[in-house]
Amino acid sequence: MTKVKMTVNGKAVSREVSDETLLSEFLRENLRLTGTHIGCDTSQCGACVVHVNGKAVKSCTTLAAATDGADVTTIEGLANGGLHPMQEAFNEHHGLQCGFCTPGMIMTGVDMVNRYKAEGRELTQEAIRHELEGNICRCTGYHNIVKAVEDAASKM
Amino acid sequence: MTTGIGARVKRKEDKRFITGKGKYTDDVRMENQAYAAFVRSPVAHANVKSIDKSAALAMEGVVDVLDGHQLTGDGIGNIICGWAVTSKDGTPMKMGAWSALATQKVRYVGDAVAVVIADTQQQARLAAEAVEVEYEELPVVAFADKALAEGAPQIHDEAEGNLIYDWDIGDAAKADAGLAAAKHITEMEITNNRLSPNPMEPRSAVATYDEAEEHYTLYTTSQNPHVARLVLSAFYNVAPEHKLRVIAPDVGGGFGAKIYIYPEEITCLWASMKTNRSVKWTADRSEAFITDAHGRDHISTAKMGFDENGKITGFKVDTIANLGAYMSLFSSSVPTYLYATLLSGQYDIQNLHANVRAVYTNTVPVDAYRGAGRPEACYLIERMMETAAREMGMKPAELRAKNFVKEFPHETPVIMTYDSGDFDANLAQAEAAADVAGFAKRKEEAAKRGKLRGLGYSCYIEACGIAPSAAVGGLGAGVGLWESAEVRVNPVGTIEILTGSHSHGQGHETTFAQIVAERFDLPIDNVSIVHGDTDKVQFGMGTYGSRSGAVGMSAIVKAMDKVEAKVRKIAAHQLEASEDDIVIEGGEVKVAGTDKALGWHEIGLAAYTAHNLPPDMEPGLKESAFYDPSNFTFPAGTYICEVEVDPETGVTEVVQFTASDDFGTIINPMIVEGQVHGGLAQGIGQAMLEQVIYDDDGQLITGSYMDYTMPRAADLPNFSVHHASTVCPGNPLGMKGCGEAGAIGSPPAVINAITDAIGNNDLAMPATPQNVWNALQAVSAAQAAE
Amino acid sequence: MDMTGEHTIAASRDDVWAALNDVDVLRACIPGCEELEQTSDTTMEAVVKQKIGPVKATFKGAVELQNIDAPKSYTIQGEGQGGVAGFAKGGANVTLEDVPEGTLLRYEAHAQVGGKLARLGSRLIDATAKKLAGKFFDNFQEHLNGPAEPEEG
Repeated sequence: MTKVKMTVNGKAVSREVSDETLLSEFLRENLRLTGTHIGCDTSQCGACVVHVNGKAVKSCTTLAAATDGADVTTIEGLANGGLHPMQEAFNEHHGLQCGFCTPGMIMTGVDMVNRYKAEGRELTQEAIRHELEGNICRCTGYHNIVKAVEDAASKM
Repeated sequence: MTTGIGARVKRKEDKRFITGKGKYTDDVRMENQAYAAFVRSPVAHANVKSIDKSAALAMEGVVDVLDGHQLTGDGIGNIICGWAVTSKDGTPMKMGAWSALATQKVRYVGDAVAVVIADTQQQARLAAEAVEVEYEELPVVAFADKALAEGAPQIHDEAEGNLIYDWDIGDAAKADAGLAAAKHITEMEITNNRLSPNPMEPRSAVATYDEAEEHYTLYTTSQNPHVARLVLSAFYNVAPEHKLRVIAPDVGGGFGAKIYIYPEEITCLWASMKTNRSVKWTADRSEAFITDAHGRDHISTAKMGFDENGKITGFKVDTIANLGAYMSLFSSSVPTYLYATLLSGQYDIQNLHANVRAVYTNTVPVDAYRGAGRPEACYLIERMMETAAREMGMKPAELRAKNFVKEFPHETPVIMTYDSGDFDANLAQAEAAADVAGFAKRKEEAAKRGKLRGLGYSCYIEACGIAPSAAVGGLGAGVGLWESAEVRVNPVGTIEILTGSHSHGQGHETTFAQIVAERFDLPIDNVSIVHGDTDKVQFGMGTYGSRSGAVGMSAIVKAMDKVEAKVRKIAAHQLEASEDDIVIEGGEVKVAGTDKALGWHEIGLAAYTAHNLPPDMEPGLKESAFYDPSNFTFPAGTYICEVEVDPETGVTEVVQFTASDDFGTIINPMIVEGQVHGGLAQGIGQAMLEQVIYDDDGQLITGSYMDYTMPRAADLPNFSVHHASTVCPGNPLGMKGCGEAGAIGSPPAVINAITDAIGNNDLAMPATPQNVWNALQAVSAAQAAE
Repeated sequence: MDMTGEHTIAASRDDVWAALNDVDVLRACIPGCEELEQTSDTTMEAVVKQKIGPVKATFKGAVELQNIDAPKSYTIQGEGQGGVAGFAKGGANVTLEDVPEGTLLRYEAHAQVGGKLARLGSRLIDATAKKLAGKFFDNFQEHLNGPAEPEEG
């Protein structure tokens, strides 16, 4: 067992967990933040993406203990009241259907826009599609997700 | 009105999903919850000699280890196939027994033999590993054609030679005569690749038994919770219906895979009673690959004859369909009534015959996956049409148009009656949108860059809105396929719609509210949709076969008719007017041509206070309806795919995909377009990326996202989606359904485009770079030999 | 999966044969072998830890020597259960031949994997099996000849 302390969505949390506890499990089972989803066992689908110290991370392949002391943001804490522009854009452009991949898509989208802005690069549709390589959606065919990310990028 | 029929209303349900507040089955946590882990066969075919639970039972946290003998001993019934198909010799289909936990024999890798219930998921999984099962291995057959071979391993005693049924439809003699009279015959062998549906949310179940009430509650990932309850009660004897509540909360995609009632849900319910604990099971992705019903897997040969003008004279199809190791709930209907009945396509074919043999193999059961039978039919016809056009030196569009059905209703020789459509309009719209006229120039330009550019068509038709109960009953269905709805107007005038259609991505909470808001001219936020809980909604047949609009919404319309009639009576009584003069408008119920009016909410209140109702009227304002359609609906359209192939690598890019669909009335174009996008992605996935692969030993070797290629964003283009609609005469809203069209129509368009680009028609799905490259090498070799 | 290979070992055929039948040598040479115990003249029990792609498993199983034609050839047959990871089974016909450099060892092996190993690791199995076979013979050669001399240069 390990004592893990971190800041999740702005709140300090600490829990005693077994060493092999994954961050995804920690968030879902220990903190009951069930917006972070598990869609595969091989780190391919991206439904579990959260931000650790401001960067997108697949929480299903991150040990909770490895994020000790980190600042973690999940879909539940993305916006400080109201909606984040990325969340608004997904609604506006019908970028979701069943909603299961959506939290991971949104967290990936935010990270993508942040990185491109920081690097001064243009986030083209082609770049968005390439950047979404680690996120699988079975419902939307990605068309509207790409539009949503593109639109949110112009508003972030 | 900005929220009525035809408006692009933003989805009401989105907020919970984009903020992480959706509630899926795995998010449910019960008091005193334990976890289930299944002990599954690692071999494809074996006798189960013994199960030793002792080591597992001694492990930390283990509550119990249960096996199939205990399950059947408690009277839990075998899993059934709900659609009886009769062979052409009049014998019933040969269904082998399927127990939720195998007792004597395992028949595919993943077949469950026992379940471990433990305090934590980790403990359950570790203990499952410690259950020792002794298997006596048997010879394996994993492929449909080999299953029918002489001396093939026998999978079920009930089905000799692994043949489930040998069924046909149409007139063989007429088809033969038509072919004999043909000027040109196109002949093809066509394989429809096996797929895994892969909704992103893995299946999950949480079962709770209340000992005092002898009552069960099941949260599960279902497209049709009422059907689940019915089947669990009537056939599996888990509990009578009034002692079983099934809740399908937010469900993360279905695509067919969540229609069926699987061994895991049955076992969790039973185990919750055995252990007196809530029992939760959630599949991991690898487990989903070996337990979710697969789709497609047909091998066909087909012959189509044409006269000197290119008119079809006869069409004959022979198909072998792989149903896997057991017959899943609707498996028998997929390669028969959902497939062969659509083999006439958009064409006037007078002489048609199809023969279908369904077989057992040592693989995961195969059942409906988005489109279910209709993609297989469409792929076959549309590959044939494109190939025939090439062989006869005709334009593919011209050959199709020559054979289009132009008058409706049109009766096909394979029992369907197409009720409406304008196939020429869809073809013309698609050709214009795809700029087919400019293709030659684009091809030339691509050639300069060293790329091969190709264009492919597909003119699809499907039968959906499944469907008329009497009709499907006559064809062997074990259930009626109507839908039910209840409209509750509350005393304050807000409205709840309780529907048997389940929403797992389709946006019903928005579109269903739209038709209500329009009908009663109310703000859409005053309407909410309730679904997915057998304790709330009286009954329902669920969501599949693109039926929520055409059938589910029609039931709502029928219930609204009754509500409106009562509203008129109340208003007429209170306003002292004739019912015929009452209009419902702008939140009011008025007498036309006067200033006499009541607020909509006042009508609601009046109905419930019942102080001043017409004589003999019951209080309340709540009506329900069951709607049973009179026919299937027939969405149709033209898809045009344009690809570029890199001849050096075989890497193929879909550079443009154009769709023109006829879905009848469209409630919310934004949602309909989204449905088409998703369907196209799955169809393009089938055509270019996806394939379930078994080796000769029946081992599934595509059991993860590292091995099974799901379409990613970079694999797909932006889609060009258009509508040219005719109104469906069969239901009150004129809707045809849009959920499956994309997956049905797109695969042949893609393969027709790639084969056009590479100049080799011999290309099977999925057209991976390797397969395309090999096909290109065959062209080079043939050219070198000349 | 089928695999063939040959290795020239700088040792006499009798020495190579003896080593191929020596449990201690085999234990030392089989990659990941944690236990190997002789249970009869021709049978052994083994515990082998292996990682194939994402799947890590401890295989417990039986090994049997068949068709023994000393000191020329035998068939080594094995089957291991790796719990939920699945199973692996296979065999190899091994033949020895005198050559001027010592002994030429040839093998024809076939292997089958099942369960999770097949689902998650199948595309890696050919490469992994070849790597393991290579590692075994490196170890085997090293055992008989001492560590290979680093090449000049």
